Amino acid sequence: MSSRRAPRGEYIETDTGNKVARKATLVGTQHIMLGGKTVIQPDAMIRGDLVRTIHPSSQSGGNAAPQNNTAISIGRYCFLSRNCCLRPPGRFYKGAFTYMPLRMGDHVFVGPGAVVQAASVGSHVHIGAGCVIGEFAIIKDYVRILDGTVVPPNMVIPSFSIVAGQPARVIGEVPEGGHEAFELRDLYKTVGNNPQPAPH
Amino acid sequence: MSSKRHSILPSASQSGPKPPVHLSSSLTIADSAVLTGTHQITVHGESVIHPRARLDSHAGRVTIGRRCVVHERATIGSSSSGLASARSSAVLSSARSSMASPGVLSPTAAVAGSGGEAASQSTTAQAVTLGDYVTVEVGAVIEAGGTVVGDGTVVGVGARVGAGAVLGKRDLRHENHCTLTPQSAVPPGDVVPDFTVVYANGMRRTDRRGMVELKNKGLARQIEVLRRLIPSNPAKFA
Repeated sequence: MSSRRAPRGEYIETDTGNKVARKATLVGTQHIMLGGKTVIQPDAMIRGDLVRTIHPSSQSGGNAAPQNNTAISIGRYCFLSRNCCLRPPGRFYKGAFTYMPLRMGDHVFVGPGAVVQAASVGSHVHIGAGCVIGEFAIIKDYVRILDGTVVPPNMVIPSFSIVAGQPARVIGEVPEGGHEAFELRDLYKTVGNNPQPAPH
Repeated sequence: MSSKRHSILPSASQSGPKPPVHLSSSLTIADSAVLTGTHQITVHGESVIHPRARLDSHAGRVTIGRRCVVHERATIGSSSSGLASARSSAVLSSARSSMASPGVLSPTAAVAGSGGEAASQSTTAQAVTLGDYVTVEVGAVIEAGGTVVGDGTVVGVGARVGAGAVLGKRDLRHENHCTLTPQSAVPPGDVVPDFTVVYANGMRRTDRRGMVELKNKGLARQIEVLRRLIPSNPAKFA
């Protein structure tokens, strides 16, 4: 990779500390909100172009001011691994099809190859490699989803659950004091154009 | 300045030859979809091809029916080897002999098997055939080699359809409607009866909800919305 354009780093680092890989595929960037200090690794894909087409408060006058049209909002210190894919969920609303926004809290780890179509993902959530999160699933805070899990559409996962299986079932609880493991600040420092080694 | 950029799309790996295409004028195909191969790729009307979907015709013709939706990173016609078309007949015959053994499938499996046999006769040079109203979700793979995906089938996220597999009977129109749940797999040459739901753990059941009309109507509405959201550029591939 370190060819002629060595000064051009592998990542684009924004003022708010986001590290977005040049090889990431972001479609419809104007509809994607990054909270800051978020890492997007190469080949990750975010479908911001699938925006909401029907708005709940569109009775007043119709095409007035442009609505808040965020398709995907991501909090701080999130980590999107290689080959993962975030796409907004779609459903029928008042008799017509529309996509709905996907909201993601802080410190969310999305493993390699995972596909997330949830309605909301809380804070401090670990989504393992190769997971599939079905449409309109709601994942609360401090949830660990083990590798290869298939979360069915519309499933609600309560806080502090450990989830696994195809389809997903709650198999345990995050132990007392176990929530420090969800912290992603150190992981954030280990990637980017001048990565630092993980502290140990 | 970054607000002016509408997307970060590293150039799609357009490796290999540009295939001869036959695209309908009412098709919605994203700019960054990848069409590659040497044989004809046909896509019928009102279908939607998402960005980064990959249609590969190296092993034979690829045909996609009306009102299909191919999601991002789905691969249609992935050639597990270059000799896929030559192999497919052998795979099919071996699958047929395995079908004779009593499996988890209902007695209709035998009927579907004969239907698949008839279909395979006419699809020797055909790598992949998708019927109408087929949805292929994110990252699903449909291998080349006389593979037939019947009308109304949903291939879930990351599912894999093996070479020469037949989903649903081909001769009865609008009567297929199989569902492959996420991360499930259909082995090469397998023949799956109509309305079968295939689970990731290998279990199967028959869908008796009778939602065909509703599902097709819903998909049509979804395609209407996608046509507005995805900027289409069929001229690029012509």
